[in-house]
Amino acid sequence: MSNEIVNRIKGLVGEDHVVDSPAGMVRYLKGQGQPLAVVMPGSTVEVAEIVKLANKENLKVAVGGLSVESRGLDGGLAMVMSGMNQVLEIDHANLTATVQPGLSHAEFSRILAEQNLVFPPEPYAPKTGSVGGCFALGGADSQAFQYMPVRTYLLGYEMVLPNGDILEVGNKCIKNVSGYDMIHFAVGSRGTLGIFTRLLVKLLPPPAVKMALVADFASLPKACQAIATLIKRRIFPTRLNLLNPTLAARIDPGAKGNLVMVDLTGFKNSTELLAEEMAGIFHLAGSGEVRIVKEAEAYAKLWQEWLDLRGELNTTWAERVLDFNVGPMKLAAVLQALADITGDLAAYPGLVVEGLLGRVRLLLPAAGEKEEMAVKVNTLAMSFGGNVSGNFGSKLVCRAYNDAEMWEGIESLLGQIRRQFDPKGILAPGVSL
Amino acid sequence: MTDKEIIEQLKKIVGEKNVQADKIGLTSYGYDATLLSGVGLAAVFPLSTEHVVKLVKLANEAGFSLIPRGAGTNLSGGTIPDERSVTVNFNRMKKILDIDTDNFVAVVEPGLVNFDLQAELEKEGFYYPPDPASYKATTLGGNLGECSGGPRCFKYGVTRDYILGLEVVLPNGKVIQTGGRNFNSEPEYDLTRIIVGSEGTLALITKIFLRILPLPAAKKTMLAIYNRVEDASQTVSDIVAAGIVPTTLEMMDNLLINTAEDATGAGLPRDAGALLIIEIDGHPEDMDEQVETIAGICKKARVREFKIARTAAEVDQLWLARRVVIGSVARRRPSYSLQDITVPRSMFPNMVSGILQIAKERNLEVGILAHAGDGNMHPLVLFDQRIEEEVERVHLAEKDICTLALELGGTMSGEHGIGLLKKKYITLEFSPVAMDCFAKIKNSFDPRHLLNPGKIMNLQS
Ligand SMILES: Cc1cc2nc3c(=O)[nH]c(=O)nc-3n(C[C@H](O)[C@H](O)[C@H](O)COP(=O)(O)OP(=O)(O)OC[C@H]3O[C@@H](n4cnc5c(N)ncnc54)[C@H](O)[C@@H]3O)c2cc1C
Ligand SMILES: Cc1cc2nc3c(=O)[nH]c(=O)nc-3n(C[C@H](O)[C@H](O)[C@H](O)COP(=O)(O)OP(=O)(O)OC[C@H]3O[C@@H](n4cnc5c(N)ncnc54)[C@H](O)[C@@H]3O)c2cc1C
Repeated sequence: MSNEIVNRIKGLVGEDHVVDSPAGMVRYLKGQGQPLAVVMPGSTVEVAEIVKLANKENLKVAVGGLSVESRGLDGGLAMVMSGMNQVLEIDHANLTATVQPGLSHAEFSRILAEQNLVFPPEPYAPKTGSVGGCFALGGADSQAFQYMPVRTYLLGYEMVLPNGDILEVGNKCIKNVSGYDMIHFAVGSRGTLGIFTRLLVKLLPPPAVKMALVADFASLPKACQAIATLIKRRIFPTRLNLLNPTLAARIDPGAKGNLVMVDLTGFKNSTELLAEEMAGIFHLAGSGEVRIVKEAEAYAKLWQEWLDLRGELNTTWAERVLDFNVGPMKLAAVLQALADITGDLAAYPGLVVEGLLGRVRLLLPAAGEKEEMAVKVNTLAMSFGGNVSGNFGSKLVCRAYNDAEMWEGIESLLGQIRRQFDPKGILAPGVSL
Repeated sequence: MTDKEIIEQLKKIVGEKNVQADKIGLTSYGYDATLLSGVGLAAVFPLSTEHVVKLVKLANEAGFSLIPRGAGTNLSGGTIPDERSVTVNFNRMKKILDIDTDNFVAVVEPGLVNFDLQAELEKEGFYYPPDPASYKATTLGGNLGECSGGPRCFKYGVTRDYILGLEVVLPNGKVIQTGGRNFNSEPEYDLTRIIVGSEGTLALITKIFLRILPLPAAKKTMLAIYNRVEDASQTVSDIVAAGIVPTTLEMMDNLLINTAEDATGAGLPRDAGALLIIEIDGHPEDMDEQVETIAGICKKARVREFKIARTAAEVDQLWLARRVVIGSVARRRPSYSLQDITVPRSMFPNMVSGILQIAKERNLEVGILAHAGDGNMHPLVLFDQRIEEEVERVHLAEKDICTLALELGGTMSGEHGIGLLKKKYITLEFSPVAMDCFAKIKNSFDPRHLLNPGKIMNLQS
């Protein structure tokens, strides 16, 4: 039976695009699940045919750019999109690109740079992440104060739905309110509503100048104070990130203490003035050393290191990361209170702050502590008007309010939507909502 | 339940003075900014989320539908009731619950008028970017219902981009919160985004978490006048390509320049093809450089007049024509139909010439007003409502305009929504698969089709 299915899939996409030996599949899989086969479609029609077959035979399907999460995928199909990795169009007049979903996010950025264009979202996992995955995960990155969340960059797509139908929505218009907003609703759905097969994305022209500031702070409260001062003075750089000494050492082996990393992009006059002003503020706030990085190569290297660190948090360390948000001006107080739970944050395995967004990520000593810590941290964050991120956070907030009814309302709505789209539950079995 | 019993129950929920059930009084809640109207069973004015929950529960029991309504200024027939519906007016739920400028968040009730929020924010040097031209009258709940845009949104984005979270009452009576006070709090599916722009068909919004920003430190306003629309359009493309993102790029065509001139006598050249208002904001140190670049671009595009406002009074002067333009067409013809399509920026000149062609073929006068930066155009089709045959031609022109926008890779609604008005064309834009997805969304939230039935699309019950 299973052999016969594999043969039918080989018939659909060609023998060369199916791997079904356990040894051969390993490199395409994350986790311990044992799918029937890894399949690498080359076109939308092939994706649709595979999904239809899976639907008929009740096989689970999970998707990925280069590799696929195999949780819950026993006996199912792992769909690797790297064969669909073309840039189909770059439209300079409308500042859009049409791409296939398996295109590597990093490669896309490189191609655009050659054409003097920018796709702002930070890659989730710089080494492996795909453009399809970028929108499947959604979220907001450390540039979101200026550039807005990831969803802002999706103008339209083609998607194979769980029943094999092909959905096309969107156009090259930023203003579009026709029908329900399926375009942005798909962002963050993590492959549960369908498989992206083509994406129409919004691009930007590059800023006139880019520079970075790197400041060491022996004291975490003083670093937070410096961030607060910038916000009070209405200085909003592109990125305003803070790392504790443990993580700072990874980016800058010479770092003494906590590291504030500022990305400053814009027009020449204001950018240069702001860089000077910020350097002054950091000195006054007690920074030991402030470096202004203007040289292109050093600038690029610095931010690549940030992206790599972010990638580690999102992948290798994901099980150990606790992510919460509070208002940016509440950071100093929250971190002080947090130290009562974690002990000295300077010595903690990891602390990353995205200052303008008030986002904090804690790298816990061990994955096993996550659930218990999340409850404590959420209580703390709520007392500052914030909460742990995402679905988990919603659940904790409802729990804290003792509002089982609200949680039930959210959960049943999410489940209802998922069932409407995927009644047999074949897509993204590893994703629980 | 008889109608009378329903009305009694409504009064029990929100109080006698918050129910309007007399047929004459109800006509005030039966229209919007379109030519459509209807009369519902009653209109109610909830004062709290609890009221809304009870109304929803009653609607479920008694089997009537609910029509959420803000100021009723929508241009899509989005708040027109039928005889089995109760209008839920949110304009008595208009409190500002929190303004937290330190953390860029405001929390408000849905009946708050956009202008009233802006006025409060301005005291603290802040603002909420989405600014529909109707902002003095419209409610935030209504802005969310349509996902409204405005002149500023080329740079700053539309309503959906400024909504961090919501409290809503679902059609089953459950209250949920979506999102929160930051970008990272959606419970997996982006429920906030699907509710914003859903035209009151998925959930009743009872609380809104908005993103607010500090007022920009500097602003520059410029006016450029051209012989030809193509030149204005070239200017827009070149400004964007130069890496400048103006807050505003408002365009008016020859007909509207003339009606505005009729109204103001400000001295606009009547033979001009197009007028462009360009506004930039940002750091004071960057203004001169950008103004210079823009001036160069305009010159290259053969601009015939280019003005830079030096004072606040001059800014007002440059905006004058744009401000009066919608009213000014009334001198030509008694009625107008304000269309709302968007095309990709590169298709802008094609759309303009296409609209003028349609006007000729349908023997109608059409003026074109556009948010040119984002390709969103508002052709104003002029007519006389009393001439039935002309009204018929207006409808035909409307369909032609929508069809052309779609042919040019655009959409038939950039910011006003579908409602009842464009429902009949929606399958021109969306495939059966997309329509089926819409139905799945609707059925997930509102399987009994209790909220704003018949809007956006027809659904089998
Ligand atoms: C609790 C937790 C633990 C984790 N543990 C690990 C770990 O140990 N190791 C690790 O590497 N990562 C881990 N991750 C991260 C997760 O696997 C990420 O999805 C992944 O690492 C992102 O990079 P990627 O290479 O998979 O990106 P991509 O391949 O681009 O995929 C990212 C996401 O998008 C979806 N997707 C991709 N393409 C499409 C498409 N065309 N249509 C629809 N959906 C699509 C995928 O299903 C996936 O969910 C963990 C995440 C969580 C939440
Ligand atoms: C002269 C004029 C100029 C205009 N200019 C612009 C413009 O520049 N940009 C633009 O985008 N629009 C514009 N509009 C259209 C209109 O003003 C907007 O659509 C506005 O946002 C509607 O707000 P409202 O309070 O009047 O809402 P209403 O018309 O009352 O309702 C709009 C929609 O929202 C729903 N709704 C209202 N409140 C709630 C709630 N609490 N929960 C759930 N659903 C709700 C309603 O059911 C309806 O579908 C203009 C209109 C006019 C007449």
